[in-house]
Amino acid sequence: MRNSSSTEVASTIDPNKNAFRNLIIGRFGRAIAVSFWVMVIIFLMLRLSPGDPVRIALGDADYTDADFNNMKIKLGLDGNFITQFFHYLSNLLQGDLGTAYLSGIPVAEIIKVHLPVTLTLIVFSILLALIIAIPLALAVALSKGTTVSYIFRALTSISLAIPGFFLALMGLLYFGSILNWAPAAGYQEEFPANLRYLWLPALVNCGSLVPVLSRVLHSSLIDTLDQEFVETGVIRGVSKVRFYWSYLLRPSLAPTVVLLSYIIGVMIGGTIIMESIFSLPGIGRELITAVGAKDYPVVQGIVLTFGLLVVFASFIGDLLGYFLDRRVTLS
Amino acid sequence: MKVSNSSAGAKRKYRREGTFGLVAGFGMLLLLLLAGFIFPLISKYDPNQPGLTPLLAPNMENYFGTDILGRDIFTRVFDAVFIDLGTSLVGVVIPLTVGTIIGTLLGISKRKRINSLVGSLIDGINAFPFLIFVIAIISFVGPGIPSILLAICLMNWARYARVARTRAVVVNDLAYVEASRTLGYSKPRILFKHIIPNVSSETVAYALSDFIIVIIGVAALSFLGFGVNPPQAEWGLMIRDGAQVITLAWWPTVFPGLALCWTGIAVAFIAEGTNRRLKESNPK
Repeated sequence: MRNSSSTEVASTIDPNKNAFRNLIIGRFGRAIAVSFWVMVIIFLMLRLSPGDPVRIALGDADYTDADFNNMKIKLGLDGNFITQFFHYLSNLLQGDLGTAYLSGIPVAEIIKVHLPVTLTLIVFSILLALIIAIPLALAVALSKGTTVSYIFRALTSISLAIPGFFLALMGLLYFGSILNWAPAAGYQEEFPANLRYLWLPALVNCGSLVPVLSRVLHSSLIDTLDQEFVETGVIRGVSKVRFYWSYLLRPSLAPTVVLLSYIIGVMIGGTIIMESIFSLPGIGRELITAVGAKDYPVVQGIVLTFGLLVVFASFIGDLLGYFLDRRVTLS
Repeated sequence: MKVSNSSAGAKRKYRREGTFGLVAGFGMLLLLLLAGFIFPLISKYDPNQPGLTPLLAPNMENYFGTDILGRDIFTRVFDAVFIDLGTSLVGVVIPLTVGTIIGTLLGISKRKRINSLVGSLIDGINAFPFLIFVIAIISFVGPGIPSILLAICLMNWARYARVARTRAVVVNDLAYVEASRTLGYSKPRILFKHIIPNVSSETVAYALSDFIIVIIGVAALSFLGFGVNPPQAEWGLMIRDGAQVITLAWWPTVFPGLALCWTGIAVAFIAEGTNRRLKESNPK
């Protein structure tokens, strides 16, 4: 659908402007549709799970029929399916994610407290990965040697195949126990102090981030190097900085940026494991605890947050990809 | 990457590259399977029976040492080969089959409503991070290998369906499919004999890289405590147990971890080799 409209638009007088508007509307519509499904899936999870969630929520303790009915209402499991769904949806839109069984704290509050830690770790990991991946991909692409790119491919393959949690434990063993460079547990919220706790988990995340990013960047750099304007740049003798940024990186970055927004999902999975291993008070560790305790409102709330985060990230990624390289939407 | 306009010499080199990956990958995998078959048989230790001195460093009797309960790690690492590989294999094959068929049907169907409805459902499922979705399902159905498999199947078909749908749209318009339609072949015949084989070459290539994710994912879930029940030997669970005592002893963590890496790298080589082969046989 989007393709047909963008080709139509390409033939009008001001293609870029219209294409951009259509792109935003199309992507936004899609993001809304996907968010809707995300909510439906989470709604269904609790309803379709085997066993009676009300009974599980009440635990093994004795309870009366009144307790049972109260819990049923509390979980939003009273009434028929359709009213349940609208009830659930209207609560969500008001920012009400329910309350945790165990602590009685509103789920939205739990997310508000713990999400920043997780986001900090994700952003820090991505920055670190870019700092490593961009020069790496540039060096491999410019070397043009078949041996170099062969070794690059083999090493990135191997790095991707090493499980993050194993790498994290090895890092903790080496940097934590032997060198004493990284604390094994704990966290501080403030900016420079938190780096002490975050650098090792972020570095471990790079073990899977750098191969993916540098590979995509490498192959788009190879494509860019074939373009005539690169040669023009060399002939005109533009400054080094300008050559690397405007002539090489900027035309090549769009696929990497779009990929980056999709990687957020993979990153969240990795972050959960890092938070458990390094005892960081992030939202992923909360999820693991909640799953263990069968604290369904917390599980639902956190999973929903992650789902919406991914939808939002890919929306932003598509737009950024367009800004970096306007050919993306028009071709 | 450009095979089409390179000389014959360069082409032969490409084949050699792909072959190296395939031979190395399958070799590593075969060695692992053989070891998983032979070592537990000839080992004098029971993989699940405690009783040896706990946390014995690797020595000539216990090549990989013993764990906290006094079990021989060497036997346990190789005893776990089939449960780890088997679980992951099932977790790849079922979504691959289901996703390919659903995706292909969507790609060739003319009904726009169903297409966009199922299409956004696919996007909705894909919006969840793999581990998050699986953990969420497990929280409702309880831990264990069957739940992990159920969750992976519920989730991963959507990724294959997306790949298959994109490919099926292209294949559906190819001349030979048009031709078989003109010849009056039945719809199922065109679907299963002409379209799906062409679509599946793409999804199978994707399945290989997915296999690595699933192997690591299954182990990660066990590591987080959602997988097999003790005392069954499984790499993720062994690493979980080892991590408790990692400051005292490195071997209960490192050896199952290395086995996991070995498997991952073997599959990565196979995937890389297959991709080279596919690129060589149909250069863009």
